[in-house]
Amino acid sequence: MRVPEAARLDTLHTAETPEGIALSLRPAGVMARCLAWLLDFLVRAVLFVIIAIAGRAFGGLGTALLLIAFFALEWLYPVVFELSRSGATPGKRAMGLRVVMDSGLPVTPAASFIRNLLRTVDFLPAMYAAAVATMLLRDDSKRLGDLAAGTLVVFVDVAQLHGEPPLAEPRAPSRPLLPAEQMAIVSLAGRAKRLTPERFDELATFALPVLGGLDSGASASQRLLGVAQWVLGRRREGERA
Amino acid sequence: MTPLQFEAAYAPLWTELEAEVAVAEKRRRFDGARLATLYRRVCEHLALAQARAYPVHLTQRLEALTQRAHQLIYRRHDYGLARLANLVLVDIPEAVRAHRMYLLVSTLLFALPLLVAGWAAWRDPGFILRLVDASTVQGFEGMYGDGAEALGRHRDADDDWQMFGYYIMNNIGIGFRCFAAGLAAGVGSAFLLVYNGLHIGGIGGYLIAAGHAGNFLSFVVTHSAFELTGIVLSGAAGLRLGWAWMAPGRHTRIESLRLAARAAVVVMYGVFGLLLIAAAVEAFWSSARWVSPMVKYGAGAACWVLVIAYLGLQGRPRREGAGGVPLSSTSTSTSVSNGSADAR
Repeated sequence: MRVPEAARLDTLHTAETPEGIALSLRPAGVMARCLAWLLDFLVRAVLFVIIAIAGRAFGGLGTALLLIAFFALEWLYPVVFELSRSGATPGKRAMGLRVVMDSGLPVTPAASFIRNLLRTVDFLPAMYAAAVATMLLRDDSKRLGDLAAGTLVVFVDVAQLHGEPPLAEPRAPSRPLLPAEQMAIVSLAGRAKRLTPERFDELATFALPVLGGLDSGASASQRLLGVAQWVLGRRREGERA
Repeated sequence: MTPLQFEAAYAPLWTELEAEVAVAEKRRRFDGARLATLYRRVCEHLALAQARAYPVHLTQRLEALTQRAHQLIYRRHDYGLARLANLVLVDIPEAVRAHRMYLLVSTLLFALPLLVAGWAAWRDPGFILRLVDASTVQGFEGMYGDGAEALGRHRDADDDWQMFGYYIMNNIGIGFRCFAAGLAAGVGSAFLLVYNGLHIGGIGGYLIAAGHAGNFLSFVVTHSAFELTGIVLSGAAGLRLGWAWMAPGRHTRIESLRLAARAAVVVMYGVFGLLLIAAAVEAFWSSARWVSPMVKYGAGAACWVLVIAYLGLQGRPRREGAGGVPLSSTSTSTSVSNGSADAR
């Protein structure tokens, strides 16, 4: 079910593929990205210290190595990791993030280069203030570099709120259900395992008028699960679908 | 069709695709044609499942699966040496020429302050103190004078390497910042261009007036071909970003910025290359005092010609009539006569 843009509460970003399906991208917010940056900063600092210690043995050549490493860690580190298969720097990977194009495709070299060069502007006036301001102002949490490059930083994994509706004795509803009603009942049944039994029962009572089977003495939640199974297409022995 | 029947009928395909994707993600050999076919089928199933409001766990499984397959199927494969060669031989000079108006503005923003400051510092040795402090001037004078501290006099290979590292960190960083600063309506790039122009011009003019013309010019002539071009090019790319955002034309501002950045970043690849060469030349060639100044001027002139010819001429598409004159002219004339015959 597609919900109109203005009515939505979440920041889901959909990208249509050539096959005509909509990919759901979940942009990562300021907090996750700041933590990812912090982790990356630590990784870079550790690498720099290691190179500095190793470089001591080589005199002038070591200093050269150190300066080049400083340059590479500042400018090339994010590009190299974003173009790898994971599409994320170690910090982003630890936070479960990756960089993708607006279309949901893996990030291209040009886009990665752009978004990381423009870090300089995002950093202004101090400590990524411009980036944080832009990210807070936008639903898709893009910083300036992301805007110019056409990239998104998204969560890799989806939170699994819905499971399979638990098995129950199929039970016909008391009247034919509208598609939206069917969907609501099956969705609630899908969340049965994440709710406490009491809360689930409480929610199920809202659906009592359509649940039927008043005579059987079963609880509201049992009857709701039964109707959900019936909607999914399960029937009692000998009953026709 | 109920959700249960749907799942029963197609779940084997989904499991198969899951297995294929898992194999492909581990970079093992996989059947690409089969993967694509399965992917298209599962896309259909996802569309159906969404349209029929099937249970969320079902659509979520299909969404996750198609998303993984999508990432694999639309991955770019054209990286590698051929792509790099094409970038260097065609794309970079073409992109530079596509930015010629920005390049003109950027050159003026850099060269005019350079000439003015150079002239002023040459006329009035005190002028340089308006730009930099006295100790910096002394440092420069030591570097380019004939004294013991002079550049290249007491330098061994170690120092050369050290300077190479420094030039990479400092100069390429300046080039990159000069591009990024353009996002601020081009003001940042313009500022950095003018600022660098004033400094280089002022110090150059001062050193020439102080009688170090030979040492200074023979030092800078070769690497300036790459370094100054690199800075001016990064400024041009930055101005492009700023202008795209200020005057978006028929695009939205963000769309216009995106398109400009995609075009300008090719110029930045060129800047990266040029400044890398500049760093190497500056560290290992410019500072070599054993090379006579005349050789350096010759090499410097050759480098300037090379850079300008590369940016101006390399990678142009062959013009009709210029390359294969007889063949193309006959073919055009035949097509013209054919055309007129058809018209009759």
